[in-house]
Amino acid sequence: MRLIALREGSIIVVTVVTAIYFAANTSSFFTGTNFKTLLPYFAPFAILAAGEVFVMILGEIDLSIGAMYLFAPILFFKMNTSVGLPLVPAVIVALLMCAAVGAVNGFFVAVVGINSFVTTLAMLFTFEGLALIVSHGTPVATPGASLHTTTQNVTHIVNGHTVTLPEQVNHISTFAKIFGGGTYSELIWAVGIIALLQVVLTFTRWGLYTVAIGSNKLGAAEAGVRVKLVMIRNYVLCATLAGLVGIFEAVRAATVQPDPAGANEILFLAVAAGVIGGTLLTGGSGTVVGALIGALFLGVLKEGLILQGVNANYLLFYTGLAVIVAMTANVFVGRARRGQTGGG
Amino acid sequence: MAEPPNTQPQATAPATADASDDVLRVEHIAKRFGPVTALRDVSLHLKKGEVLGLLGDNGAGKSTLIKIISGFQKPDAGRMFLHGQPYEPKSVDDARAKGIDTVYQDLALIDELSVYHNMFLRRERVFRPVPLLNNREMKREARRALDGIGINIPRIDVAVARLSGGQRQAIAVARTVNSESDIILLDEPLAAMGVKEGAQILDLVARLKEEGRVSIIMILHNYVQVFEACDRVNMIQEGRITLDRPTSETSVEEITNIVVDEYRRAREEEHANSHAAEPETAADGPPSQP
Repeated sequence: MRLIALREGSIIVVTVVTAIYFAANTSSFFTGTNFKTLLPYFAPFAILAAGEVFVMILGEIDLSIGAMYLFAPILFFKMNTSVGLPLVPAVIVALLMCAAVGAVNGFFVAVVGINSFVTTLAMLFTFEGLALIVSHGTPVATPGASLHTTTQNVTHIVNGHTVTLPEQVNHISTFAKIFGGGTYSELIWAVGIIALLQVVLTFTRWGLYTVAIGSNKLGAAEAGVRVKLVMIRNYVLCATLAGLVGIFEAVRAATVQPDPAGANEILFLAVAAGVIGGTLLTGGSGTVVGALIGALFLGVLKEGLILQGVNANYLLFYTGLAVIVAMTANVFVGRARRGQTGGG
Repeated sequence: MAEPPNTQPQATAPATADASDDVLRVEHIAKRFGPVTALRDVSLHLKKGEVLGLLGDNGAGKSTLIKIISGFQKPDAGRMFLHGQPYEPKSVDDARAKGIDTVYQDLALIDELSVYHNMFLRRERVFRPVPLLNNREMKREARRALDGIGINIPRIDVAVARLSGGQRQAIAVARTVNSESDIILLDEPLAAMGVKEGAQILDLVARLKEEGRVSIIMILHNYVQVFEACDRVNMIQEGRITLDRPTSETSVEEITNIVVDEYRRAREEEHANSHAAEPETAADGPPSQP
């Protein structure tokens, strides 16, 4: 029962039940190979959703993460190839650009007072458009992510005889291994970022003020919380993480793909992961760990359905149903948590 | 008790000759919100250790005045002096740093936060050097502060959304009293309170008055409570102070009469305006007191 008392309680239960269901119905669900296949469906969304949670707790939303996801790798490519920056500085410049866009989002929402949905939708269009303009709509190879193939002598034991033969072996650079190319790279980033942000949310003034603003903006201001500053900061965080994930994915795929439709799908899945994880769109309450579990749930669902041989056309349909079921569970769990109000 | 802490550097502040025991002086403050004039011209002063009651009808400008003194809003005109020094709070934090803290009418409590987080909002206790919240310390201090006031909050780690109106108000008051400010502004501290809880808050105010450390400006609606709790009463009507009297030199009747007279005068004015063409019999010149 203590599990249910947690914000993440319902989604943990739902995820575990879903995983067990697929494990019982498919032979290959609980295997190492499948886990590796699952990772790309889960780790990037977890990072995106973690940033989004910080905005959602404010009672706002950031749709522009789709554009940051798309734009950052293109900028990274330009910085590296056109400007000639080394790889890591190019990444940093791209992320600073995303942070600046986040600050602009925050400025329009917190200072000018435009509705966050409208503001970030406009920024989504603007920067996805800019991504198409800058890239001419053409995919390019991600800098630093290309495979180096070398010929090495590899020793095998065949029928008790030692045989050494030259073979082609593929390598990726250390840069690529760290920034999304390595099998577990994104998972490690996701776990690290989520642990850090959960600590920030629960145990720092920044997190406290984020919840305070989402719960009672005027009250927080009257108490002396610098509301605008906190809001801008959260938008910066959200946009920067989106840019980071965009670069990870471009490195992993070794291609910078200017594909707004794909970016939009990723944006909405990230928001869904946050919501499924137990963060309220109305603000005042949320969890970063929940976002991770929400993303895991979406990954498990997708991977399980694929393994079961469900027609690909059904995937989105089931995802939609799952969000509704999870949200309904959240509402009931939320009531149970607040529960005793007025009960004496 | 010990000498009150003097936060102002006395050496650089040549004490102004008059009103030397005023901790706070407000001079000719005006504030408009678009077409609405909230404060026309308000001047008041607060002595050390004094409890000043602020009366006035809804919309008379009491809350606006409190928000200006507390640094939440900026006046359009006028000046303020704190301990004889010009006082221009840039923010709520700034005012608080200068020793002025406020309990708002709309209860600036955060529903989703716990009792102790609410009490320490913007004054959080954190560890050094990594600034993580020291929740244990905050819980302990919050418990002590609430016990000191004598308000019973069974659990201080629950969200304040779960508490009754009176308990919430008590927490808001406790937050301010606990803040080591030397001027406390209370905007309707007894709103939403049960009789017993209200009495506890008034007891607390009386205790603070006895200690003499803090000076208090308190907005109240109930005149009887004003006479119970306050040393002096100021009445705001239509953005002006229309009465400034020690409670010992006035009475509930007098204040009631002032309010009723004002109401009648306003009604007659309205009446006169709407029947401007008719010959007037009653109103010739300003209403004279019998």
